[in-house]
Amino acid sequence: MNQTPRTLNRVLLAVFGLALMLAGALAMALGVPAVARWWQSVAGQAGEAIAGVLAATTLSGQRDSWLWIVVALLMILLVILMFAWVANQGKGRSGTLAYDDDDQPVPGSVTINAAVAEQALKAALSERVDLVNSAVSTYEFRGRPALKVRVSPRQGVAPQVVAEEVSALVLALDAVLGVQTPVLISISSGARSRFTRAERVR
Amino acid sequence: MTDETTRLTSDVIRRETHSSRAVPSTIMAGLVIISALYVMLEAALKALGQDPWLLGPEAAAGWISSLPGGISSTVLAAAGGLTFLAGLIFFLAAVLPGRKARLSIPNERAAVVVDAEVLASSLARRARVAAGVTPEQVLVTIDRRLAEVQVRPTSGIPVSEQSVQAAVEDELHRTAIDPVPLVRVTVAQSGVIGQ
Repeated sequence: MNQTPRTLNRVLLAVFGLALMLAGALAMALGVPAVARWWQSVAGQAGEAIAGVLAATTLSGQRDSWLWIVVALLMILLVILMFAWVANQGKGRSGTLAYDDDDQPVPGSVTINAAVAEQALKAALSERVDLVNSAVSTYEFRGRPALKVRVSPRQGVAPQVVAEEVSALVLALDAVLGVQTPVLISISSGARSRFTRAERVR
Repeated sequence: MTDETTRLTSDVIRRETHSSRAVPSTIMAGLVIISALYVMLEAALKALGQDPWLLGPEAAAGWISSLPGGISSTVLAAAGGLTFLAGLIFFLAAVLPGRKARLSIPNERAAVVVDAEVLASSLARRARVAAGVTPEQVLVTIDRRLAEVQVRPTSGIPVSEQSVQAAVEDELHRTAIDPVPLVRVTVAQSGVIGQ
């Protein structure tokens, strides 16, 4: 429902996970003498190549190569990218339920605030005794506003009954607003529904 | 419902029944940030011609290229094993389907997603009414394929397996979950006293 970059999460996790697995496998394999010899020769060659590059990029009169500055800047870039990745997790809350700036039939624009649907649904749901808790929030999903209704029923309440009644509320909301948004009804078990007693009289 | 809303609704169901992997992603990003900050610090010190903080880049490169020299092979293998395991956990988090313990109930207007726990507790209620036992004597676990009902009868009062089975199946059919999980009822051999 939110805009968590799921494909990016999977790709980056797979890449970093594979890199860690390779490093770990190499470290374990270094216990074998043949692998250790191979590693020392390969690493030695690589070290010489890097030393050559560093020497070639050292400006005259300077002690060290300017590549170190580039490395530091690249690391800053990597840190910024990582922070951007984390900041994108769970993003997507929105404050607008519907927006219309069509010039037909009359010019002008109409915005319906998300609080309209959230408060109307929450008020209707809070009267119910078979729900311990409910929360309504608006997200932007694929460029369109979408409603998320999360309800926690008491233990033993039939979920399909809750779903039917909440979707009837949503249909009523559709009729009031005149627009239809995608709706998610998430029937979850919270800590409160786990520890409150099942209702005996319905 | 319009076509677009229908399409978006089925997308929402898929997203809500699968993990977003936000937690392993955040942990991984944190690890990368910490190591990148450290590399940046050492590279900057090197560029400024200062002494290294912990280990200068040349010393680090020299140490890595001389492995496994200077370190006991047990420590190296253990460190390698831990690194491999951490990488495997992240890799599996990325590759496995990541299905959550949630089921979707068909609905004409909305995407309805139910925690398996909620559905199990509603099945447990029906099972306990059919068996005539207290809530503590029924245990229900459910996933997409199988609903397992375990009943411990009150000592001396027999419980009919068929009636429990029929009640649970009826409740499952009412939820209209597709595909319907198989119902397996087990009545314990020993009863409970004092209920």
